[in-house]
Amino acid sequence: MEELRIGVYVCNCGTNIAKVVDCDAVVEAASSLPGVVVARPYKYMCSTPGQEMIVQDIKEQNLNRVVVAACSPRMHERTFRKALQTAGLNQYFFEMANIREQCSWVHDDAEGTTRKAEALARGAVYRVACHEPLEKLSVDMCPSTLVIGGGIAGLTAALELAEAGHPVHLVERTERLGGNLARVDLTAPYLDSATDLLIDRITRVRESPAIKVHLSSELKELSGFVGNFEALIGPATNGGQPTTEGRRVGVGSVVVCTGYKEFDASRITHFGYGKLPNVVTSFELEAMLKAGRIEMKDGRTPQYFAIVHCVGSRSREFHGYCSRVCCMTALKYAHEIKSSIPKAYVSDLYIDMHAFGKGHEEFYRQSSEAKTLFLMYDKNEHPVIKRAGPKDDCDMLIEVNEKLSGEVIEIPADMVILMVGMEARPDSGQVARLVNISQDKEGWFIESHPKLDPVATTTEGVFIAGTCAAPKDIPDSVAQARAAAARILAKIARQKIEIDAVFAQVDEDHCSGCRVCNELCPYSAIEFDEKTRHSRVNSALCKACGACVAACPSGVIKARHFSDRQILAQIEGILS
Amino acid sequence: MAIRVNPKLIEDIEQYGAEEVSNCYHCGNCSAVCPHSADPFIFPRRSMRTLQMGLESKLRSSLEPWLCYYCGQCSEQCPREAEPGETMMSLRRWLTSRYDFTAISHLFYRSWKAEVVAIVAMALLTGLGFALYGFSSGDINTYDGPTAFLQSPAVHVFDWTMAGVLTLLLLVNSARMWWFTVGSRTDIRVPLLSYVKRAVSLPSHFFTQKRYAQCGEKGPWLVHLVLMLSYVMMFTLIMFFLHEVQAGPGINWNVHAFGYIASVGLIGATVVMLRGRLKKSRPGNKHSHETDWIFLVLLLYVAVTGVTQHVLHRTGFDLAANIAYLAHMMGVVPMLVLEVPFGKWSHLAYRPLAMFFSELVADALRENARVTTQVGIGSPQPARV
Repeated sequence: MEELRIGVYVCNCGTNIAKVVDCDAVVEAASSLPGVVVARPYKYMCSTPGQEMIVQDIKEQNLNRVVVAACSPRMHERTFRKALQTAGLNQYFFEMANIREQCSWVHDDAEGTTRKAEALARGAVYRVACHEPLEKLSVDMCPSTLVIGGGIAGLTAALELAEAGHPVHLVERTERLGGNLARVDLTAPYLDSATDLLIDRITRVRESPAIKVHLSSELKELSGFVGNFEALIGPATNGGQPTTEGRRVGVGSVVVCTGYKEFDASRITHFGYGKLPNVVTSFELEAMLKAGRIEMKDGRTPQYFAIVHCVGSRSREFHGYCSRVCCMTALKYAHEIKSSIPKAYVSDLYIDMHAFGKGHEEFYRQSSEAKTLFLMYDKNEHPVIKRAGPKDDCDMLIEVNEKLSGEVIEIPADMVILMVGMEARPDSGQVARLVNISQDKEGWFIESHPKLDPVATTTEGVFIAGTCAAPKDIPDSVAQARAAAARILAKIARQKIEIDAVFAQVDEDHCSGCRVCNELCPYSAIEFDEKTRHSRVNSALCKACGACVAACPSGVIKARHFSDRQILAQIEGILS
Repeated sequence: MAIRVNPKLIEDIEQYGAEEVSNCYHCGNCSAVCPHSADPFIFPRRSMRTLQMGLESKLRSSLEPWLCYYCGQCSEQCPREAEPGETMMSLRRWLTSRYDFTAISHLFYRSWKAEVVAIVAMALLTGLGFALYGFSSGDINTYDGPTAFLQSPAVHVFDWTMAGVLTLLLLVNSARMWWFTVGSRTDIRVPLLSYVKRAVSLPSHFFTQKRYAQCGEKGPWLVHLVLMLSYVMMFTLIMFFLHEVQAGPGINWNVHAFGYIASVGLIGATVVMLRGRLKKSRPGNKHSHETDWIFLVLLLYVAVTGVTQHVLHRTGFDLAANIAYLAHMMGVVPMLVLEVPFGKWSHLAYRPLAMFFSELVADALRENARVTTQVGIGSPQPARV
């Protein structure tokens, strides 16, 4: 084995590290360690001169291992690995000691912290001595995509991909495309027709030779990994007996656009839904608006309308979250009602008016100007709807403690519209299991990062878009669908999928086939070969969490870059 | 017991001038900026709310509109251009029509044409009456003395009769105001002693209008004060010294000096006010209801014709002076008869009364709070801004 020549670099991080840690002492302690030929402090190791210093030392001093004592590896490990590559060294001959987050940011005792930084650096030096050169793997990227759900998000994602020339399988459980948007009349705040928005997209999807639409179908099975999934598409059973019949298609990526379900208003008793004939849900009003006639159960034209916000949303008993679209939809109803019945009076009972989007505040103002009566109720003190007396000129009376006036008031109403919120579809758990993604406590699918990676999931190659991830409006759903498509197109353009060299490997000769690891793997990355009775790790799916390595009773699963020897050396370094 | 919302009321009050009430989304900036808004009379936001919801009984019992002098800072601050100042003004008009037991002010505020027709009719009637009287007992070419066209003792009797009738009407309406805002309230009890203790506030507000002076700018208050004091001076001269005022052609400085001061004040203040409304010089002048114009034009007309007849008489044109006098009376009578009990001028009674009543109500509310805290039932409700 060649002689060890280790370079150690201690970053000051401006004053972030140096204000607590005596960096020069860390350099001095490191320079006397076995194999260390050069040790230097520097103000900012991640800066270009810092990286160049490493490259130059590797070349001039013939270094074959590098340790950087600086911030968290999540921050800059990639940066320094690149520097090693530039200098012609295998990038895995690198180790980082975190002396910022684990030292200077959490301690203020300079002496003790410096000792800890020295120990962490020593651990890294001992560990890097045991590193092995590794190479990243590369697999082909299949250009086809599976889109689940034919609503506005699914249609948009499918069109984006197809227009770039790539095949799409669009799976829709019902017998027609359009999703929930197909049940809507006009859209807020610009009052465009939802049908117009949809018809154009549906026609283009239908006409696209690249899109294969599978109606009344659903995903039965998904296996494989990013770039190389195999999907089984079969007839929709709608909760009936599951089948494994269907058509198998190979796809490189999956976009989940399964949408939402509206809240069931009959779960709330005090609004009288189901008992009072003229208490309707927002979707029931949409149906009337689409039919072009708003009427009460007995056929009369209502004069007093009351719209109740946050039905099922922002409540302790049902859903704590805001459904985001109801406020503007309610204003849209006020507008549509007044256009259709000019003599109508519209009361709008809200908790808070959420008018955050483009054009929304203006739309809210327009509704005020059109004399919609806005009444604020407390979310812990809901309105109560009851039948009016024979002398009243209205069908119902709504009693509520109005917050802006402090008065307990009674509002006349002939028709009450309940703004039912959005909730995760009851079968979302099933979908989550099929495509191996996670759900939050409300059932919405979880994104990889809520701010920086909103359409990716923890399963590479599986994306989420639209209201299956959380309530959102049409522009947000469309933006997400296009974002997912863009992510997929980027992968397709590269043609190859690079897989990190760090993953678990089973020594199959010594595997007893106990299958403990199969159940344990959180990424479903371990397959069991029935023929050889051995387990095998799919390196593309493995995230190198190490659960199987620790659990294997025979100790025959090894994690690359996390070998026992490397970890023990690191511990020895820290403790010595 | 829940109060019934009446979404139709707002349409009714819009006819009194309020236009943008629905725009209000209750941020409360108006109440925060208002120099007069203080517990327990916090406005204009609360009035905007009560009006939006159409809580008629609440509105009718509210004194808050009268505590506002329309400096307009609220309307300037309003982020939604809901014009709270103009709403308060409209509510004053609406309240005037509620206090009025006849339906006349209700009619006038909603139809300026009806008001103009009434004024013209009353002017013609007055002209005809005085002409008949003048020709029957006097000489159109004589202004004063025993053969005068319009003799001051007769006019004096007429003036006092008219003043009596108008005062009676105004008293009835004021009593109604008391009943709506104080008497009928079940949540407070105002002890008789309170009325005595607070009585001084009536003349003090009437003669100084000191609350108006707290509105930031002093200009509008000064003009208003000049107009009011000039009017009071003229009113005193006419009601008590009519004979001396009319006697001539020499100038009796002991009487006429006051007359000249009052005339300059009346004409000057009216012209400034008209100019302000024409130029929309400040927020309070931006919106002028038809009744505002009618009132000011009548006032100016009366003042100018009054001065004209005086000048003509002193310069020896008795015939012309008598004609001008007739024209003057044709303005004075409709102005007083229609404006004092039924129109804008009624605020001469309602405003000081509102200050007086508001002090009574505030005392009673404080007493309620004190008793509640003492008994330990709970702390008084925090005021809603």
